[in-house]
Amino acid sequence: MKYDDITEAIGNTPLVRIDPEVHGLRNIDLYAKLELLNPFGSVKDRAAWSMLRPMLGDAVRRGDTVVELSSGNTAKALALLAGMHGLPFRSVTNRMKIPEIKDLLLLLGAEIDELPGRSECLDPADTDDPLTRMYRTLQTSGEGYVHTDQYFNERNADAHFSGTGQEIVKDLDGRAPDYFVACVGTAGSSTGVARALRAHGADTTIVGLVAAKSDFIPGIRTIDEVHEVGLFDPGTYDAIETISADEAIDGLLTLVRRCGTLSGPTGGGAYQGAVRYLRTIDGSLTSRKSAVFIVCDRVESYLSYLRERRPALFGRPARANSLGSLSAGEIAGAPSVTVGASLEGCLVVDLRSSYAYQALHIDGSINIGEDVFETMLSAGLPFSRRQPVVLVCPVGEKSAAFAALLTRMGHPDARSLAGGIIAWRDAGAPLVRD
Amino acid sequence: MLYLKPRIDPLTQSVLDDGALLGRLVDGLGSPLNVVLPQRVGANVAAFRDAYRRHRLNGRIYFAHKANRSSALLRQFAATEAGVDVASVGELQHALGAGFTPDRIMATGPKTREYLWLAARTGVIVNADSPAELSELASLVAAFRLPRARAMVRLSRFQSSGVRVQSRRSRFGFPAGSLTETLDLLGKHGDHVELVGVAYHLDTVELREKAVALEGCLAALDECRARGLRPWSLDIGGGFGVNYLADAGEWERYTSELAQAVLGNRPPMTWGGHGYGLRAESGTLRGSLALYPAHRPVAGADYLDKLLGTDAPDRRRPLGELLLDHMYDLDVEPGRALLDQCGLTVARVLEVRDDGDDVLVRLDCNARDVSLEEHGVLMDPVLVPRLRVPKEEPAADRSEGVFLLGNLCLESDLITRRKVHLPRRPQAGDLLAFVNTAGYLMDFTATDALLAPQGRKVAIHRTGDGAWSWHLDENYWPIHSQPEVS
Repeated sequence: MKYDDITEAIGNTPLVRIDPEVHGLRNIDLYAKLELLNPFGSVKDRAAWSMLRPMLGDAVRRGDTVVELSSGNTAKALALLAGMHGLPFRSVTNRMKIPEIKDLLLLLGAEIDELPGRSECLDPADTDDPLTRMYRTLQTSGEGYVHTDQYFNERNADAHFSGTGQEIVKDLDGRAPDYFVACVGTAGSSTGVARALRAHGADTTIVGLVAAKSDFIPGIRTIDEVHEVGLFDPGTYDAIETISADEAIDGLLTLVRRCGTLSGPTGGGAYQGAVRYLRTIDGSLTSRKSAVFIVCDRVESYLSYLRERRPALFGRPARANSLGSLSAGEIAGAPSVTVGASLEGCLVVDLRSSYAYQALHIDGSINIGEDVFETMLSAGLPFSRRQPVVLVCPVGEKSAAFAALLTRMGHPDARSLAGGIIAWRDAGAPLVRD
Repeated sequence: MLYLKPRIDPLTQSVLDDGALLGRLVDGLGSPLNVVLPQRVGANVAAFRDAYRRHRLNGRIYFAHKANRSSALLRQFAATEAGVDVASVGELQHALGAGFTPDRIMATGPKTREYLWLAARTGVIVNADSPAELSELASLVAAFRLPRARAMVRLSRFQSSGVRVQSRRSRFGFPAGSLTETLDLLGKHGDHVELVGVAYHLDTVELREKAVALEGCLAALDECRARGLRPWSLDIGGGFGVNYLADAGEWERYTSELAQAVLGNRPPMTWGGHGYGLRAESGTLRGSLALYPAHRPVAGADYLDKLLGTDAPDRRRPLGELLLDHMYDLDVEPGRALLDQCGLTVARVLEVRDDGDDVLVRLDCNARDVSLEEHGVLMDPVLVPRLRVPKEEPAADRSEGVFLLGNLCLESDLITRRKVHLPRRPQAGDLLAFVNTAGYLMDFTATDALLAPQGRKVAIHRTGDGAWSWHLDENYWPIHSQPEVS
């Protein structure tokens, strides 16, 4: 397929049937709308392009900055679209919690402004919502901008009315599905698709999924936060259900491990929420039904999110010569040298960070940060057994562990500076800068 | 029932359980009555020290005096290892008189010449807010031949790289971006002022902002070392917070319902439909909740622990490890967190009346005596049973929620702008106890406007045989033998 412009590749995503072996529903065909296959990687490509396109002419002529309140996929799509047209993009956010996404946006050339957190000592006069703060920041900056306003812009929902929704009906041979399940973020996709299905005369049951109040699932609003969204209309949904981060991750794992679909947590939540909802109906059905959910984006940006919540998923075999393999007894028995003893002829290795070393250190010592040092040791001793070594860390704990490890690896004279460099300083021994 | 049940530790609970004690005290000393519990102080200091230990860090825990003017609590802190952070010349005198030696005192806040002189004369650390303050300190030391003053500089307006982390504008501090000028100034005054550390204090609950500031201070300390200065301390101020509520679910349900009330989807929960910062605009919720996050799963010493475990945004290593690597002492200035569960405020019910669908309860205290609303802390008071049990116990279904009104002749004098749900309808003569008020909520802004007397303050403690003993606040000294409270 040949395109003149990457934006032509937005939309027309596949609708893929989920193997009944996986979801276990007997009377319902469950389909995934694979929005992760949009060119920038998410369902937001449609909304971003729909919202920005009519503003582009003027924005390019004036050289405006494109701004949006976004913590993820909308920002990513807008950054790429703005970049294609030579415009700067700025994302203003107080919700961006995923480090990979921040780094990716910076790589794409976006600017990110993080708004201040709540005040510890209450200032009752300070009741601005993030949007008001963003407008104020922009007004004081004096530069020109266009704001795509995804939470209130009808073109967000329109993109899904004319695109996503129609595509689903077409792919189901002209019949709207009986059930449609979507997570609610800006409410753009669920609102737009619902309108399209209803315009088609279908009596589709629309299920909106929100996060539990104290939970965090990227791209999904909590039950309270949805009320801050201009596009959100409770009347759109036949049911609004809560989904937990745990369920979203379970769903994500099913999609990535069993369905060949590299879904992120939002898509995982939609899958899990759909199956949970449909299971309650499945047994009582007398005719064949169909259901569709949306896979919003891709898994790769959420590795740290997953690692934090399910560390076991990333379990790796222990490295050779790792500190973790030492017993408390080995560490307690590590050879040490007290402050004041001669270090003559010893290689002094300072295990602290390079900034700390550069600020002040023991004269003649060399700096190998503990992380690097541990990596080096996994391959074997990085110095001769004949070279006496003294290890230095802040309080003598880390250095004792490393001295124990070197001893176990067969080094005959590796010692830890007892009490560390803090004891050294407290004893009035000299510290230098080079 | 939309309860917001407060978190109550065993010591406070045992005071409440002994209804006769509070009843006698209020009968004798009047309503409102502020009760402080010095016995709780030691455990709060120890919790912070534990967080230090987990990160192998040294440094001083300074109690931020401004959170409560009580002498009893201050003297009890003097009896622990804690230092004190004073923010006025009055507080400095109070601290010296309570037994703090100058090496345990940090002088912060906006400073007068008198305040600077007393600080320099006694040798406490002066935490300077501006170049003018630092110069004035140096000129005082020179003019009156005082010993070389120990000073910290408070930095503000930190720059973040990559992601721009914004913070609210602060009145205080030297701009971190003009560190060179600040160090030049310190060099000029080197004979009179010794730099012992740098400081920040941010009014935010957001860890990311604090991480930027802490890393900015580390960079500033490195710069000091490059100039040959040898400051060893990094003071990260306070703002560790308190968890006020027993149940996260109640807080979540309450705030959800409040949003629905503002949107008009349920009957109002507040006086005059007050939205606590929220408002409805064409069916969409706007504004933000101007309330203290009353349920905080991570607060106090745990918040410090979490901050020290947070990665520095640039160097991408935990802040606690960076401090340790550089051999810096960590100083903290918690106020509210060190006073967690250290006191309560009790008021007598004067009148209960029906007003349409509402029940109004007038208390013998005003909104300045129990400043829950002013500080945005929503938690229910505890109804303290008096010995005189009412004959006709009102039916439980009458506990539909009441408004608590103050005793001043002012429309605005509401103790709560929201309906408070109590286990039963109160009666005149009952006591309502507002627990956990010692940090900022007790008599922080108490006034004798309208010639209404300010509440008295008493320190009560449990003696070895389990009996309660009480002193007027100014008469309490930490010299009784006290059982340990954990």
